[in-house]
Amino acid sequence: MRALIIFCHPKIDSFNAAVLNTVTAHLDAVGVEYRTRDLYRSNFMPVLTAHELDCYLDESCNADPVAQDVADVQWADALIFIYPTWWYGLPAMLKGWLDRVLLPGVAFIMPKGEGDNIRPGLTHIKRLGVFTTCGASWWLTTLIGAPGRRMLTRGVRAICAKRCRTVFAAHYLMDSSTETSRSAYLRTVAARMERLTA
Amino acid sequence: MTAAPTVPAVPQHAMVLAAHPVPDSFNQALHAETVKTLQARGWSVDDCDLYAEGFNPVMSEAERRGYHDIPDNTAPVQDYVTRLQAADALVMVFPVWNFGYPAMLKGFLDRVFLPGVSFRLDDGKVVPNLTRIRRLAAVTTYGGTRLRAMLCGDPPRKCVTRAVWHVCRPRTTKYLALYDMNRASDTARRRFLDHVGEQLRTF
Repeated sequence: MRALIIFCHPKIDSFNAAVLNTVTAHLDAVGVEYRTRDLYRSNFMPVLTAHELDCYLDESCNADPVAQDVADVQWADALIFIYPTWWYGLPAMLKGWLDRVLLPGVAFIMPKGEGDNIRPGLTHIKRLGVFTTCGASWWLTTLIGAPGRRMLTRGVRAICAKRCRTVFAAHYLMDSSTETSRSAYLRTVAARMERLTA
Repeated sequence: MTAAPTVPAVPQHAMVLAAHPVPDSFNQALHAETVKTLQARGWSVDDCDLYAEGFNPVMSEAERRGYHDIPDNTAPVQDYVTRLQAADALVMVFPVWNFGYPAMLKGFLDRVFLPGVSFRLDDGKVVPNLTRIRRLAAVTTYGGTRLRAMLCGDPPRKCVTRAVWHVCRPRTTKYLALYDMNRASDTARRRFLDHVGEQLRTF
């Protein structure tokens, strides 16, 4: 197993960083190789430009501006996302990573002929982990339809390997979290990681 | 005695949020149609093209730390907050990329839909605060089919019709979407463009 961790939080001392530590500690313990992509600390630029969109479908050069990210995705067989949920979805920073890196030829095989459909391109990804913190309650998030969670556990998962092993955990009501609720969540993360790497 | 003048259902001020980088794209044609239709109906339009304005969608560390400090939290994006608060209608025009909004538009929500602007927290509960917006619409294009979007739970549709809806509580909500763009014929696109014009005329 080779894991690519996509970590997205503006504050290095955030609770999300503690989640990241829990995840990497587990991967170290079980001896899984991993790479961490810290989007904020590396100043990732999330805006897909007009130029990139112009050559979006040209698989010979569309990945050039994000070559390292594409190489990381192709190297990995597991993706782990760690981020805060803002507006029921991914932060723009992380959404932009999807926009710019999950390209035709990388994540999608585009239709070649008439009647053809888009096909999954991440079929080498066999494990998917999603860990997030939400200001809203589970109830409200579910009522809204959990768009952030579904973008990853359904949208991205649909372009991964069939029956891709998927784990998800969220700490809801983050604004009224306590020391107890946070450490309980970190134990949940560790347990989910156990299942992901089993 | 003169009859009271009949007042048309008064169009007022609309903010159009567009998020496509390529000026000659179909999405920008939808954007132009949206602005044109609203203006023809008497709306004053604040045409906010996020790419053209060079909006920065990344919420910085300082902004995150000051997120809950009402009213100082609006300082980095004051101009956008003022424009949003002036709107009686909000129309979002965007392509769906990878199951959701472009980062550009998502960043507008992250940075401008702040506590004290779009919602207030009363006892940790979200209370809608953009209730001046009486009409909410989205005009969008998907690469995949409607079925494919539904299997994922159609996240962008829910973001508009539930998440944004929740803080505006508009009287009218319209979600106008063209699915399966990668295989759409010119006729299908033409028809959708007309459909958007028609729907926004009665907005």
